[in-house]
Amino acid sequence: MTVLNWKEGDLAYDSSVFVKGKGHFVDDLNLPGTLFMSVLRSPYARARILSIKGGLNGSELKAKMASVGEGADPSQSVSIQPVFATGYVNYVGEPVAAVFGDDRYKATDLLETVEVDYEPMKPVVTMDDALKFPPIHSGMKSNILVQSSRGSDFKDPDSPIVLEDTLENERVATNPIEPRGIVASYSDGMLNVWVSTQSVHSIKDGLVESLDLRPDAIRVMQTDTGGAFGSKGGLYPEYVMASYASMKYGRPVKWIETRREHLSSTNPGRGVRGKVKIFAERDGRITGLKGDVLVDAGAYGTGIASFSAGFIAMMMTGPYSIENGYVIGRSVLTNKVPQGPYRGAGRPEASFFIERMVDLLADELKMDPVDVRLANMSDKAFTSPLGMKIEPAKPFFESAVRELEYRREVKLTNGVGLSFFVLVPAVYPGESARIIVKDGMVKVWLGGNSHGQGHENFARKLVNEELGVPENIVTLFRGDTGMTLDGVGSWGSRSAIAAGAAIVAACRKIKKKVEEENGNYSPELLLSGSYDEFVYEEQKMSLNSFGANLATVEIGKLGNVKIKKCAAYYDVGRALNRDMVIGQIQGGMAQGIGQTLHEGLYYNEDGQLITSSISDAGVPLAEDLPNFTVKIAEHRSSLPHGAKGLGESPTIGVPTALIRAIEKASGKRLRKTPVTPEELIQ
Amino acid sequence: MSMSKIKLTINGKEIDAEVEPRKLLVHFLREDMGLTGTHVGCDTSNCGACTVLLNGKAVKSCTMLVVQADGREVTTIEGISSGDEMHPLQRAFIQKHGLQCGYCTSGMILTSFWLLSKNKNPTEEEIRKAISGNLCRCTGYQSIVESVKYGAQLLKEEQKGEQEIRVR
Repeated sequence: MTVLNWKEGDLAYDSSVFVKGKGHFVDDLNLPGTLFMSVLRSPYARARILSIKGGLNGSELKAKMASVGEGADPSQSVSIQPVFATGYVNYVGEPVAAVFGDDRYKATDLLETVEVDYEPMKPVVTMDDALKFPPIHSGMKSNILVQSSRGSDFKDPDSPIVLEDTLENERVATNPIEPRGIVASYSDGMLNVWVSTQSVHSIKDGLVESLDLRPDAIRVMQTDTGGAFGSKGGLYPEYVMASYASMKYGRPVKWIETRREHLSSTNPGRGVRGKVKIFAERDGRITGLKGDVLVDAGAYGTGIASFSAGFIAMMMTGPYSIENGYVIGRSVLTNKVPQGPYRGAGRPEASFFIERMVDLLADELKMDPVDVRLANMSDKAFTSPLGMKIEPAKPFFESAVRELEYRREVKLTNGVGLSFFVLVPAVYPGESARIIVKDGMVKVWLGGNSHGQGHENFARKLVNEELGVPENIVTLFRGDTGMTLDGVGSWGSRSAIAAGAAIVAACRKIKKKVEEENGNYSPELLLSGSYDEFVYEEQKMSLNSFGANLATVEIGKLGNVKIKKCAAYYDVGRALNRDMVIGQIQGGMAQGIGQTLHEGLYYNEDGQLITSSISDAGVPLAEDLPNFTVKIAEHRSSLPHGAKGLGESPTIGVPTALIRAIEKASGKRLRKTPVTPEELIQ
Repeated sequence: MSMSKIKLTINGKEIDAEVEPRKLLVHFLREDMGLTGTHVGCDTSNCGACTVLLNGKAVKSCTMLVVQADGREVTTIEGISSGDEMHPLQRAFIQKHGLQCGYCTSGMILTSFWLLSKNKNPTEEEIRKAISGNLCRCTGYQSIVESVKYGAQLLKEEQKGEQEIRVR
C-alpha cells in the first residue's frame, strides 16, 4: 500500500519552504519498501546487440515510447524509440536493461549482473554524415526524419546585394540543477506516479499509451520540480520502466537520474544549422530570403525534433517585412541522444539565422545595423510569406532603440550588438484549470505545471481580481491528474497566457453560478458556498510579442569575452507579477549568455559524448555573468487578463545581440554558438 | 559489507551510527537522517546543491564519505534557523527572490553563510566568487547576489541588536 506522509499543504507551490530545505522534490519521497532502479546504458553510439542476459530488458518489456508533450507528433511512427533497445543500440546512453535494488548502492552494484554482447558499427554522428550515409533505422529510405517547407519557391531576383552564409547553434544540455526522477507505486489496481515534470498530463498520456493502461488506473502527480527548461515536458523510457516494474514487483520503484545520465540521455536542445541567402537593395531593404535548415534530431523522432524543422522555417523572416520567402526544413537522424525542447525550442535558432544575416547586410552596406532593421519594418501588421503573423514592428523597435540607449552605447564603444525578435508563444491548444471553493478557501489546479516560474503568484492575483477574495486564501497546488481531467503543460512561454486565461474562465463560471443561486455576487456569498469548476480554455489566436536586446563587450588578450552590459526591452503584455517577470528574464538572459559563450554538447567521431559533467557542458557560474538591465513594455494582449508570453524571450534575444557585440569587438565574422576564446584570438 | 561505527554531530545533535564505508555523506543525511534539504545535483562537486557546513566550513557532501565526517560537526540547511525564527539569510532569499525552482537554494544559503562567517561585508565581486561553486540555472544569479548582500545587512543589524542587549 502506498503511504505518503505529505500533508495537503505539502502539495501546494510555496517557494518560501525552499530556504528551509523543506521542499518536496521527487527524491525526497521515500515510500516504504521502495526499490531503487538503475539503468544499464549503451556504451556505443551504434551497435548490434548480439545478446542480453539479466535485468529487466526488451525481451520482456517490449513497449515503445509515446509521442507526447511539447511538439508531439504521433505520425512519426517509424522512428519512435523503444523503451529498451533490443536489436540495435543507437546512441551512447540508450537504455538496454534495468536492475532493481533495495537502495541506490545495491541497484548500482546489480548493473554488473547484466551481460550484453555488442557488435559495434560505424555510427552516423554529424548532420552531414546523416545526409551522406544509409539510414540508421531499417525501414527508412534515408536519415531524413521530416522534410517540410514554408513559403513558395521563387526565382533568384536580380538584386544588387546577395548574401549567403551558414549559421549554427551547437547542441545544449538543459541541465536543470535537479535531474529527472520518478517514483511509481502500484497497488490495488492503481498506478500512482510522482514525477518532476512540466506536465503531469503528458506523462500520464504517455504511460497510458506506452503500457496500454486504462486512463482511470493511473494518477500522475507533480513533485516540486527543480527546473526543467523544456526537458521535463514529455515521456522518457525510464518512466515506463519504473511504472512497469512497480506493477510487476508490487513495490514502489524510484529512479533518480545522475548528472552523467542527464548529459547522455536527457533530450538536449538546439543542434541546428541554417544555410541562409538574402536578396537586398542598396538602401538596406531585404526583398527575399531563402533558407535550408537542418535539425539534428538524434536517434529517434520523439516530438520537437520533428516539429522544429517546419517551426524554425516558419519564423525565419523574424519581425521583418520581407516579401518573398522560401525555407526548407529537414530533421535528420544521427546516432546521438534524441533532441528535445530547450527554452526557446526553435525560436532562438530562427532568430539567430535572420539576425546574423541582417548584421551581415549592415556590414556589407556599411550601414548602422539599426538603420538596416528600420528599413525592413513597417507601421502595419504583416503576414510573412512563411506564414507568421506579426503586429506593427516599427513603433516597438523605435522605442527599444531609445530604451536600450543604443545611440549612446555605439558612441562609447565598438563592441555593441542589438537584436530584435518576435516571440511566438505555444498557446495552442489552450490550458485547463480547476477551482474548488470550500470552507472559505480557494484551491486551484492547472493542467500545466510550474517548475520555478512562480505560477502561484499570478493564480492568486487573477482569482483576487475576478472573484474579489483576498490573495492569502488562494492556494495553487502542484499538477495532479487526479484533480484535472485534462491539460497541456508548462512550456513555450504559454503559462501566463493559457493557464491565466483558464483561471479567469473558471472564476467567471463560478461567479455566474453564485449569481444564479443568489441573484447577485459577493465574495462573502462565494466563500459561504461550495463550488467546483473545471475548464479547458482553448487558445487559437496569435499572441506574438516583440523584444529587443543590447549587449556590449570587451575582449581580453586570451580571447575571453567580458560582458559590460546586457540589457533587455521586452513587451510582456500586462505583467501579472513584476518581480516574477524580472526573475524570468534575468534567468533566461543567463541561459542566453551560456549558449553564446559556454555551453555545448560535443561528441567525438565515434559518437562518444565528450562533455559528460555539468562543468564540461558549460553551465555559467556567478562569476561569468554580469548584472542585467531589464526594462519592460506592457502592451496588453487581447485576452481578458492582458498577458503575453515572456519566458523564452531572453534565450531568443540575448545570443543574437551578444554574438554581434563580440563580432564588432573582435572584427571576426561569427557564425556559430558557442563562440570560443580560441576562435577569437586565431 | 562490513559496517563502520561513526559518531558525529549533526545540527547540534550527537549521532552514533553504523554505516557502509562507501556511503556518501549526502545520502546519510538525506536517507538515514531524513534531512532532505541537502540535494544532489551533479555528483561531481560542481553544482553545490549538496553543500553543508563541516566544522563551519562549506563542503560538498556528494563527494565525501560519511565516515570522513566521523568526529566532526555537520550543519545542514535544517540547522541554521533557531526554532521558528529563520536565519537572516533565509529571510533575505525570500524577500529578494533569490530562488525560483528552489533546488540550489540550500547550498547557496550555506555557502553564503560560510562567506559571511569570514567576511561580514562582502562586495558583489566577493559574493560572486564565493558562490561560483554553486550553480543556479533559474535566476541568472543577480537576485541571489542581492539576497546575500541583504542577508549580510540583516545579520549585521541582528548582531548589533544582540550586542546592545548584552551591553544593557
